[in-house]
Amino acid sequence: MSNFNSDDDLIGLLKTDAKKGFSRIVEKYSSRLYWHIRRLVILHEDADDALQNTFLNAWKNLDSFRNESSVYTWLYAIATNESLSLINKRKKNSGIPLDDIGKYLACTTEGNIWFDGDEAEVKLQNAILSLPEKQRIVFNLKYYDKMKYEEMSKVLRTSEGALKASYHHAVKKIEKLLGEV
Amino acid sequence: MKKLNEIPGKNPFKVPENYFEDVTRKIISETSGSESGISQRGTIRKMKPLFAIAASIAAFILISYTAFKIFIPGNTTHVVTGLSEQEFFETYLNDIDLLTLEEQAGTLTPVIDINDVNTSEITDYLLFININENEIYEFL
Repeated sequence: MSNFNSDDDLIGLLKTDAKKGFSRIVEKYSSRLYWHIRRLVILHEDADDALQNTFLNAWKNLDSFRNESSVYTWLYAIATNESLSLINKRKKNSGIPLDDIGKYLACTTEGNIWFDGDEAEVKLQNAILSLPEKQRIVFNLKYYDKMKYEEMSKVLRTSEGALKASYHHAVKKIEKLLGEV
Repeated sequence: MKKLNEIPGKNPFKVPENYFEDVTRKIISETSGSESGISQRGTIRKMKPLFAIAASIAAFILISYTAFKIFIPGNTTHVVTGLSEQEFFETYLNDIDLLTLEEQAGTLTPVIDINDVNTSEITDYLLFININENEIYEFL
């Protein structure tokens, strides 16, 4: 595995042996993608479904990746779409709004088993959940994943300027909400 | 207003034990049992140049055959080189018997039965070509 660490190596391996190359991609990115998805969908079982769907879709559409600049941004784009689809499905089926993490977790069977935040973290999560969907994604990618705006613009197909403005507004809102509580 | 950097950006979520090992194995197992989009469409992509070459050859043959049929006449002329005119006629006459030549000549010249022509028609013809009567008597 150590021989195929960079995306270029993985792309090269994909061309010669698609199955082996894709296995290496799954090994490399499953954890990072999971946390990105989890922060968006909140529940572990939803994140688990979305992660598997992300890789299955990536596998089925492997030829569309060939023109992409990086495996990383391509997978993040698929994962983000999967997460948003799942959130919309949840909204329709359960009718539970995703704006309060405590209420949301309490309404699910798994409850708080896979959430280990203290009071400050619950407040921060609630503030993040109060953001509009796009702003929430931008905030998570910047704050938790430390993603560059250049890469983020490829994932979300939005200009870097718009993303910077979006993150700035998100931070202001969160700080305001944290100050009010 | 509380600053965001005052809050530790710790991940508050947890996962079951060995989750990443298990899910990675599961995904690899699911994808390795099916064909990727790349292998299915890749085959067609690889075959495209071959299809193009085959189609080009077929088109070239068809055009050449059609052009040959249209522009080259059915009756071809064979040019015989190294023969003098005399040698050619001798060769030609030796290959065809006289009976065949008479038959071919018969088809080219209309046969006129002299009994079908009456005296007045002959007189008219002679007057038409303005023949001198004295010349006629000379022949007689």
